[in-house]
Amino acid sequence: MSELDFLLSFAAVLLLGMFCCGRDRRAGWAAMAVYGAMILAVIAAGARVSAGQTIPSALSFSILGQKLAWRMDGLGWFFTMLTAGSAFFASWYAAGEWGRAQKRMKRQHILLALNVLAMILLVNSGDLLSLFIGWELVSWAAFAMMAQKGGPATPAAFRYMIYALAGAMAVFAGIMIVHSITGSFAFDAFAKAVPSLSSGVLWLLFALFAAGLGVKMAIVPFHLWQAPAYSETPGASSAFLNAVSARMGLFALVLVLIKVIGLKTLGGLSLPLVHVSAKTLLMWIAAFTMVIPTFIALMQTDARYLLTWHGIGQGGYMLLGLLVGTGLGAGGGLMHVFNYATYQMALFLAVTAVIHRTGTSDLDRLGGLITRMPWTYVTLLMGIIGLAGLPPMNGFVSKWLIYRSLLDSGAPFLLIMAFVGTLGTILSVYKLIHNIFLGRLRPEHEGIREAPWSMVAPMLALGGIGFLTGWFPGLALDLTDIAQSAIGAPVLAHTLGGVVTPRGALDMIWLVSILLAAIGFGAIVFYLMGNRRYEVDQLNNYAGGHFLSPDVPYQFSHEFYPGLSRVIGPWYRGSIVRLERAIGTFADVAGDLWQGLFRVAWTPLYALFAAVIALFWAVNGGMQ
Amino acid sequence: MTLLADIVLMPLIAFVTGLALVLMARRVRARIERRVGPPVFQPVYDIVKLFTKKTQISHGVMHDLSIVLLLGGYITAEIFLPVPGFDGLAHQGDLLTLIYIMMVPMLGLALGVGSCANPNGSIGISRALTAMLAYDVPLAVAVIGATMTYGTTDLVKIVEIQQAGGVATWGAATMPLLAIGGYLAVHGMFGKEPFEIYIAPAEIATGPMVEMSGKYMGALFVMQCFQLYTIGVLYVTLFLGGGENWPAFLLKVFAVVFVSIAVTNVYGRYRTDKVVRWMWKWPTGIALVGLMLVLARQGA
Repeated sequence: MSELDFLLSFAAVLLLGMFCCGRDRRAGWAAMAVYGAMILAVIAAGARVSAGQTIPSALSFSILGQKLAWRMDGLGWFFTMLTAGSAFFASWYAAGEWGRAQKRMKRQHILLALNVLAMILLVNSGDLLSLFIGWELVSWAAFAMMAQKGGPATPAAFRYMIYALAGAMAVFAGIMIVHSITGSFAFDAFAKAVPSLSSGVLWLLFALFAAGLGVKMAIVPFHLWQAPAYSETPGASSAFLNAVSARMGLFALVLVLIKVIGLKTLGGLSLPLVHVSAKTLLMWIAAFTMVIPTFIALMQTDARYLLTWHGIGQGGYMLLGLLVGTGLGAGGGLMHVFNYATYQMALFLAVTAVIHRTGTSDLDRLGGLITRMPWTYVTLLMGIIGLAGLPPMNGFVSKWLIYRSLLDSGAPFLLIMAFVGTLGTILSVYKLIHNIFLGRLRPEHEGIREAPWSMVAPMLALGGIGFLTGWFPGLALDLTDIAQSAIGAPVLAHTLGGVVTPRGALDMIWLVSILLAAIGFGAIVFYLMGNRRYEVDQLNNYAGGHFLSPDVPYQFSHEFYPGLSRVIGPWYRGSIVRLERAIGTFADVAGDLWQGLFRVAWTPLYALFAAVIALFWAVNGGMQ
Repeated sequence: MTLLADIVLMPLIAFVTGLALVLMARRVRARIERRVGPPVFQPVYDIVKLFTKKTQISHGVMHDLSIVLLLGGYITAEIFLPVPGFDGLAHQGDLLTLIYIMMVPMLGLALGVGSCANPNGSIGISRALTAMLAYDVPLAVAVIGATMTYGTTDLVKIVEIQQAGGVATWGAATMPLLAIGGYLAVHGMFGKEPFEIYIAPAEIATGPMVEMSGKYMGALFVMQCFQLYTIGVLYVTLFLGGGENWPAFLLKVFAVVFVSIAVTNVYGRYRTDKVVRWMWKWPTGIALVGLMLVLARQGA
């Protein structure tokens, strides 16, 4: 048995185990142990994969004369690691009090195991057909996870399913075109055939794959489904979906467009008249994916929606870096996948902890929780520094690499877009932390306690990983190297502290150490010099002549950026919301029509049709 | 050993120069208003006074930590900002790194003000961040255009390239439009009229500073010194050829700050959305034209 077989059988056994005894109080801890074992198996596979070997799986079967197989290469290894790691933290978080407070924890355990199995199958697929099978499995598993709670999640999940099925059809059409040309589903045969394809066929394949696979990662014209679908899912599952599930689309895009078709082909494939290559087109789509969802996030009033919208935006950074394709770009893009998984999961778990204690994630109904939930605050703070891409967290390093690669490849306008996206993120994450933890504590939250350690420990561990890989980014870059060489991108030469390029360097060990030392110096100046300070009550402050008292609720949280929303608000309300509503209405109408087909009493008509067709078939010699 | 000296001396020089810049700003304002202005050591007296005041009100741990983060962030930024004779850690981080380090004190201040639970403070931070989003867009265009021209983000090399041919190779001479757009953004960064929306004493009771007393206020004073210095030096490094020697360097830095201070007193205050619109229209537009010229020249 290879390591991949171990991984698959762990996931399958866990799935069965959760079916049998997922209701048990210890189920969460058991699941956590199995995911931990999976992480060990991934680590064990790392040595072989990094040497350039692929790990085969015993799982394979033939269908219609085509052999389907699964194997693990560097790219699959990287995403398998993220999957197992995210599942580990999600189940750790759910193992204690949070899981016991859930109504249907068994279902969540089952669905998490199912998603992990499906995702491992997808990221280790050996040919186009097994990729498609994995793709469908992941779509349905994610749908089940989103729809589990009912309520507002169901229509969102249904909308996701419409997008996902449409995307899957596009992918399937692409695969069939490839099969009709090469006569096989193998990646190698496809890659070999690419140079001989005409530009018309290549454009068609590019459009089908980019749109079909891009749906799952919610690139810009297809970005509307993800935020409601992910946000309404219960906490730990939602954190898992956000951290890795959304990245499955990125994985498939990288596999098909970058590894198999190749950036060179995409770069040479240019639209007539305007001379825009397929690669440039996709880079601009990625750029808009960075900016538009980020500013939508800025306008959200629910912490979960805000984070999910940022997740969509962060996907743009990853895709952009990977499309640049240099060592810096691909390294930055893949490292961003890793970093994003750490901080987004920490952020989502922190928000879930707030929901667990206060019962809401409405940013207008929280405030001042820093004194009640300090560790959750610390986690959220580490998370937002990572999300905003500021030093000393790891998000800064990957964004720096992406910026650097854009500068080196002479793409200043894309870099401006990336910069604008980051600025929007800073505004939005401050709103997140301010409205939950800063400002005035609401009277009904006076008695709130910190979340239990079973929830706080995984959150802090994730924040700690984010800080460590920010201080020593070489640790994370060692992992991305393996994936990078697997997709044929140049490997990024790096040290433990960062990278040295001829046109500018980054050494995070120096940066973070100096920053910590300077903060220490600042602490000496502040705490030891000057007169003694004394703490006052929260309400003991000055409000322009009005004295605040407990009966005057005054927390500045609703419409946190009024000046800005006066500028970008009309855009948001005008185009985006209306478009979203239009698509929602269209989905509803289509759904009603479809329902009408079988629900309305047209049964005699259907029977008549069936009879006519049967008669036609019989008359035309079907009976012989 | 040199490095250790750099790490100690660079923030110290920045602080002393910053004190002088603050003094200049106050004197200029006084002359415009036909006053004499404060004596030479007034900024020092002010800091000492604030640190030793009896009323030192703290609004909790985050309020205290924000001051620590603020000082730490600016000290770090100074060490990554090369000046004549001192390279510091400029080779371990570049222009992009410096710009991001400069956001750390901003974030620290924002967190501290938020934890004071004063709506005026929160509104101030909301406006300050909006202003940041407004002026950082043209600044980003200018910085990106400059790095495209110089072909590097290494600040030491940027200075070397500009000093290779005297004034003719200064950024302001080779890419005047970017320099103009960048300067307008810098004026916004100083937070002076007409862009002082987040201080706005008459509206929101000085915004972020509303709950700052005693050494909290003193630390903000120190921050202002660092801020004037850092922004001034950054602009000089990018567009005015950096410093050949200390007198020339200081002259340039003071000139950058002086122009901004001199014009600011004749303005009123924009509304927040006006700031965003103005910044995204004029400086960004000018800088974008400059960037296109840079690209056209490189393509030719």
